[in-house]
Amino acid sequence: MRLTVKHLAKAYGYLWALRHLDLALAPGEFVALLGPNGAGKTTLLKLLAGLTTPTTGAIELDGRPLSAGAAAVRGQIGLLAPAEHLYDQLTVLENLRFFSALYDKGSSTGALQAALEEVGLADRAGEFSGNLSAGMKCRLSIAKWRLLDPGLLLLDEPYGVLDGNGIDLLEAFLRAHCAKGHIVIMASHHVARALNLCSRALILHQGRVHFDEPKQTPWPGFDRAFGDFLPRGGL
Amino acid sequence: MTLVKQAYLLLCKDLLLELRRRDSLLTMFFFGTLLLFVFHFAFDMPPDKVAELAPALLWLAFLFTGTLGLAQLFQAERDNHCLDGLLLSPLDRGALFLAKTGFNLMLMLAVEVVVIPLFWILFNLSGWNLLPQLFLVTLLGTVGFCVLGTITAAITLRARARELLLPLVLFPLMIPVILATIRCMETVLKTGSFGDATPWLRLLLGFDVIFLTIGVLIFDWVIES
Repeated sequence: MRLTVKHLAKAYGYLWALRHLDLALAPGEFVALLGPNGAGKTTLLKLLAGLTTPTTGAIELDGRPLSAGAAAVRGQIGLLAPAEHLYDQLTVLENLRFFSALYDKGSSTGALQAALEEVGLADRAGEFSGNLSAGMKCRLSIAKWRLLDPGLLLLDEPYGVLDGNGIDLLEAFLRAHCAKGHIVIMASHHVARALNLCSRALILHQGRVHFDEPKQTPWPGFDRAFGDFLPRGGL
Repeated sequence: MTLVKQAYLLLCKDLLLELRRRDSLLTMFFFGTLLLFVFHFAFDMPPDKVAELAPALLWLAFLFTGTLGLAQLFQAERDNHCLDGLLLSPLDRGALFLAKTGFNLMLMLAVEVVVIPLFWILFNLSGWNLLPQLFLVTLLGTVGFCVLGTITAAITLRARARELLLPLVLFPLMIPVILATIRCMETVLKTGSFGDATPWLRLLLGFDVIFLTIGVLIFDWVIES
């Protein structure tokens, strides 16, 4: 899976949420999407997910444009937003079965149970997902995307609701996902964790790319670029 | 997966959710019944005016009851941003339109099966043998209502005052369906057969087919705008 973004921009009325973004990602890349609140991270994720249309620019997956009619391309994109995109009145197992069928994966009950086992939700399979905590819903989302196996996985601040075990599960899943040659883009304010996983960092500020480099050790360029957004201690 | 298979999957999901929540069906059923009682106490229908007044009153009840159901049509998709979850998937948007129209139609028909005989009893109407013909007209009218209703419910989905906006957009568009249905029912009640009402029946059928096709074709644009 290759992702190419050309001159991408998005305006809401007179406000430019994102301006002139170019990006070319190779298979297996993990991008840490960083930046202060209102930088345009969620807008970029929504554009890449096809949930909002760009004002200008184009997004291509393996050379195929992501346009409204491209069902096959959409099937290659996943968006893991904690506690979202799950039906509260369906059970944990029914949610997995529904989305698995929607993506035409045809997973057997055994495969669904195994996916739940891996995220520690096997004993909650018959429970309504509305009764789960936010952390458990996030685990269910991890199980869902593990089953659906998208070529491009987008994550919007996944750490906030997960406990220690949940974070380990998520990170193991993301590492394995990239190892398959899939692309992961994760927006997060947990910088240390995101940097630990990533192969590239992208910092957005006021809708523009402030920094974009492959990971290095040490990484003085990143330290300088990100230093602008660090808290000052309230003094 | 084909359009029909996707629509069937979504329809099963909506029916299962409705079976568990019972919000829409119970609300529609009680509201429809309540309206009939209000009409019963408000109107003293003379026997010679039955054929003219009964269809209009009945359709007024269906229109208000159906609008109540339409307001809830995308509720499951509004919770937890599930609509985004669907739009993110390789789902054909036409399948979403067919599933929502089918679901709404099932709710409406379930209510109508109870409301029409109750209307007959409350207004002490004769001619029970005409009920099958009236049900056929009602079915065609209800299909038209559900098709247009699903499109307008999707248009007003993200609006702040969607409950107010929905009838304002829907009712003017419904005029041809209401007119044709009422004229058909009136003819059946007066003559005992479709007779002169055949052109109205054709209009209803044409309306249903045209807007069902348009809905499948434009729902992509409607739901994403």
